[in-house]
Amino acid sequence: MSSRPGSGRPSVVTSLTLAFGIALGACRPAERASAADLARLPWDSVVARARGTSVTWRMWRGDPSVNAYVDRWVAPRVKARYGIGLTAVEGRGPEIVNQLVVEHEAGARGSTDLVWINGETFGNLRREALLDGPWAGGLPNAQYVDSASPIVQRDFEQEPAGYESPWGRVQFALIYDSARTPEPPRTVAALGDWILAHPGRFTHDGQFTGVTFLEVLLYALGGGVQRYQGGFDSVRYAEGSAKVFQWLERHRPAFWRGGKTFPPGVAELHRLFANREVDFSMSYNQNEVVTKVRQGILPPTARPLLLRDGTLANSHFVGIPFNAPNAAGAMVVANFLLSPEAQLEKQKAEVWADGTVLAPDRLPVEWAERFARLARDPRALPPDSLAKYARPEVSPLYHERLAADWRRLVRQGAE
Amino acid sequence: MTRASRRGLLAALAVALPVLVGTGYSILASLGLTGPGSAGFGLARLGAVLRERVVWSGLAWSLWVAAASTTAATAGAVLVAALFRGSAKSDRTARLLAVLPLPIPHLAAAVAGLLLLGQSGLLARLLAALGVLSTPSQMPPLVYDRAGLGLILTLAWKEFSFLALVAFSVVATRGERLEEVARTLGAGSAAVFRRVTWPLLWRGLMPAVVAVFVFVASTYEATAVLAPSDPLALPLLTLERYTDADLGRRGDAFVLVLLGMAVSLIAVAAHEWARSRWDRFEP
Amino acid sequence: MGPEPLGPVRAVSARISRRLLLAALTLSALSPLVLLLLTSVGREWFFPALWPASITIESWRDAFGGGGRIAGALGTSLALAVATGLASAAVGWPIGRTMADLRGWPRHVGAAAAFLPVAAPPVALATGLHLSALTMGVAGTFGGVLLSHLVPAVGYAALYFLGVFTLFDRRIEDEARTLGARSRTVLWRVTVPMLRRQVGEAFLLGFLVSWAQVATTLVIGGGRVRTLPLEVFSYLQAGQDRYAATGALLLVIPALLMLGAVRFAVDRAEATPL
Repeated sequence: MSSRPGSGRPSVVTSLTLAFGIALGACRPAERASAADLARLPWDSVVARARGTSVTWRMWRGDPSVNAYVDRWVAPRVKARYGIGLTAVEGRGPEIVNQLVVEHEAGARGSTDLVWINGETFGNLRREALLDGPWAGGLPNAQYVDSASPIVQRDFEQEPAGYESPWGRVQFALIYDSARTPEPPRTVAALGDWILAHPGRFTHDGQFTGVTFLEVLLYALGGGVQRYQGGFDSVRYAEGSAKVFQWLERHRPAFWRGGKTFPPGVAELHRLFANREVDFSMSYNQNEVVTKVRQGILPPTARPLLLRDGTLANSHFVGIPFNAPNAAGAMVVANFLLSPEAQLEKQKAEVWADGTVLAPDRLPVEWAERFARLARDPRALPPDSLAKYARPEVSPLYHERLAADWRRLVRQGAE
Repeated sequence: MTRASRRGLLAALAVALPVLVGTGYSILASLGLTGPGSAGFGLARLGAVLRERVVWSGLAWSLWVAAASTTAATAGAVLVAALFRGSAKSDRTARLLAVLPLPIPHLAAAVAGLLLLGQSGLLARLLAALGVLSTPSQMPPLVYDRAGLGLILTLAWKEFSFLALVAFSVVATRGERLEEVARTLGAGSAAVFRRVTWPLLWRGLMPAVVAVFVFVASTYEATAVLAPSDPLALPLLTLERYTDADLGRRGDAFVLVLLGMAVSLIAVAAHEWARSRWDRFEP
Repeated sequence: MGPEPLGPVRAVSARISRRLLLAALTLSALSPLVLLLLTSVGREWFFPALWPASITIESWRDAFGGGGRIAGALGTSLALAVATGLASAAVGWPIGRTMADLRGWPRHVGAAAAFLPVAAPPVALATGLHLSALTMGVAGTFGGVLLSHLVPAVGYAALYFLGVFTLFDRRIEDEARTLGARSRTVLWRVTVPMLRRQVGEAFLLGFLVSWAQVATTLVIGGGRVRTLPLEVFSYLQAGQDRYAATGALLLVIPALLMLGAVRFAVDRAEATPL
C-alpha cells in the first residue's frame, strides 16, 4: 500500500475501525445484563453482582458543591458499603443524547453506566429507546419516594415509567438583594411595575433559565398552568405566547441596556446582579442562592423570591443507558442516592441545598424528624411556600417554542 | 509537470485535505443532500439562510471586529518595532513585554478582559474610587456592546504581541542595511521611515496581518465571552445552529460554515495576489 | 547601530513617549495576569470593591487535590499538546520542504493550500470534520481530538517550514552528498542539527495551537475529552469565576514554561559549535 498522503489508506482504516466496532457491538448483548432483567431479581443478588465493580456516571459537573457531595460523600460510602468505585464524568443533556445516539448507530460498547437527566433529555432518550428499563420502581428505597407529588411523579409531563429514578427537586425563583430591594415585587404584575419604575435594573438571560422565566410569564399571563397541561397545543401556545411577547415589548425598553442585548447565560446574569448592574437574578434552583452565597459568588444579603402567580418546579433524575456495561452497579448507586441518609445530606444548606424527593410521611419516624429538624439556612424558603406556589412543568415543546420565538422576535428584533 | 512539482502539490493536498473534506461535506449538507434535517437536493435551505438578516448582520459584525482589532494591533506592532529597535536595556525590555502575552490563550485573555472592562469591572471600580462615577451604569459599556469594543481591545492586545514578534524579526533581519543606505544618501528620518522602514515592515507583516484578520473574524471562545447577543457574531450563530434542539435548524449551520470559509478564502486569495505582485519587485 | 539622532525637541518627546510606551507595555502585559490571580483567590469581590472581601485557596487546592477536574484536564491538555507538537513538526517538515521546491503557479497553489487549515475558521473546521470523525469511530475519543488538533497544527508547521526551506541554502547538503553521505545521514547529521532552532519553534507552534483549541475539542470530543480550556469555559458558564481564573492561569503557566524551555534548549544547542 502506497504511503503517499491522500491515497487509499484512510478508507482502509475507516472500514477496519467500523468493522471492529460492529464486531464488538455484536458481542455485547450476550454478555450484558440489562437493568430491566436485574430488576426482577432479588435485590441481594443485584448487590452481589455489583460488588467490586466500577460505575461511570455522566453528569453536569459545573457546581463545586455538587461535585464535592458526589466525589467526597457519595463515592466513599458506596465504595465502603458496596465495593463500587464511582467515577463522575462531565456531560450535559445534549452531549449525553449525542453520545448515546452515536454509540447506538455504531453498535459500539457502552462507556457510561448512569446519567443525570430530566425533561427534554429524558424525552429525547426515551423516544430513541436509548434508556434501559423499567427498573426504578424495583429499588428498595423507591418506597419512600413522594409519588403523590405531581412534581416527582412526572418529568416535564412525561411518565418516568421506571426508566429513570428521581434524585432531587428544585423550584424556579427570582433572586434579589434584601439590602438593595427591601420590598421586592411578589407578583408578575408588580414586577412589571417595578421594572418600569427602575429602568435598566432588570434583565433575563438567553438560555435555559431565561426561557424558564418566559414560561413563568406564560402561566401567569396566559391563564394558569392548567391551560397548558395535557400535551402541546399550538393554538393555546399562540394565544399565551402573544401575551408573553406583548409584556416583553412593553417592559423591554426599561430592561438593562435598554433591552437591546441580553446576557448570554444565567452565570453572566448572576455576575451582573452581584456587581450591582441589575437588581434581580434568577435560578432554576431556589436554593442556588444558599450555595452561591456560601461560595462567595453572590452577596450575603441575596435572597430567593417566589412569585405568587406560581413558579415552575420539577425533579431531576438518574437513568441507565441502554448499553450500560454495569447496570447492576448503577442500580445500587441509584438506590443509595434515594436513601434517606443520602437525601438528607444533599439537602443540607452547607452541602447542596437540593430538595428531597422523599415523602416525610413515608419515612421511618426518626428520619422524618431529622428532615424536619434540618437546620434551615435563613436564606432558604419555607417548604409550605414552596409547595403553595409550585407549578409542574408542562410539555417540553412549550419551552422549545418559547426559546425559538424569543430568539426570533426579541433578541434579533431590536429595531 | 516536473516530479518535484507533483510531489509538492501532493504535499499541499495532504495539508489541505481535511479542510477540503469538511468544506465538501458542508456543501453537500447545504444543498440538502446529507446531514441532519436533509430533505434531498434543493436550494431552499441555502436561500432561506442567506435571506436571514441575522446572518448578514452577524457576518458584518465579525468582519468589523476583525478589521478594527487587526488595525489596532498592527499599528501598535509597527510603533513598538520602530521605536524599540536598539539593543539598549529599555529596548530589550520593551520587546520582551510586548511579546509576553503570546503564550496566553485567547480564552484566558477574554476572561481577564471581561473582569477588567465590564461596567462593574476593575476599570470601572478604579474610576469609582477616583470619584469619576458612582454606579456601573455610568461606565460606558465595553462588553456585550454593539460596537464590540471590549472584544476588539482584548483581541487587539493578544494579536499585538503576535504581530510585534513578527515585526521585530523583520526589522532585525532586513531593516538596518537599507536604512543606512538611505540615510547616507541624505534622506531625513521621516522619509527613511516612509520609504524604507514602513514598506519593509508591511511586506514582512502582511501574511501575519491577514492571518490575524481571518483568525479574529472566526474565533469562537473570546467572542462567546465578550460579544453582545445582537448582532450575533458569525461563529456564535454557527455553533448555536449546529447544536439546536430543532434538527431542522442544524442544517443551517453548514451554510454558515461555508460563509465563514468564504471569508477566509477571499482573504487568503487577496493576500496571495498582493504578494505575487510585490514579488516582482523583490531585489 | 541605533536610530539616527533627531532634532532636540523631537528627541525629548521621543524619550517621553518611549517611557510612556514602556509603562503602558508593562501595565498591559502584567495587569491581566494579576487580575486573574486575584480572581482565582477572591471571595465576595463585588462592585465597587477594589480588593476581594476575603481570600481562599480552595480552587487551587482543588486543582491539585485528588480527583480534581482541573488536574485531569491539565494532564489531557499537556498530553494532546505535546503529541501535537511532535507530530506536526515531524509531518510539517517534509511537507514544507517539498512545497518549497515548487516554482511558478504550483507554488501559488501550494502556498494557498498550506494556508487553508490555518485560515479555516475553527468552528467551520470542527463541524466539517465531525462526520469524518464519527465515521472513523474516533468522535469523543482522545485520538479523535488529537487528529482534529493536528489539522491546523500541521498547517502552521507546513507553512512555517515552507518559509524556512525557501531561505535555506541547500549547498551544504549538496556538499555533504558529494562527500559520499547517504540522504538519511545528510538529514540527521547535517540538516536537522542546522535547523534545531526551527524544529524547536515548530514544536512550540504545534504545542500552542493544540493547547488553546476549544471549538474542535468541543465538537469532535463531544464534551467527553476534557481539556483545560474546555473546563475554563464550563466553569465560566457555571458562574464559577474563581475556578475559571485558576484554570486560565494554569493555561498560561505551562505555555510560558514551554516557551522558555524551547528557547533555553535551542540557545544551548546553538552554543555548541557544529
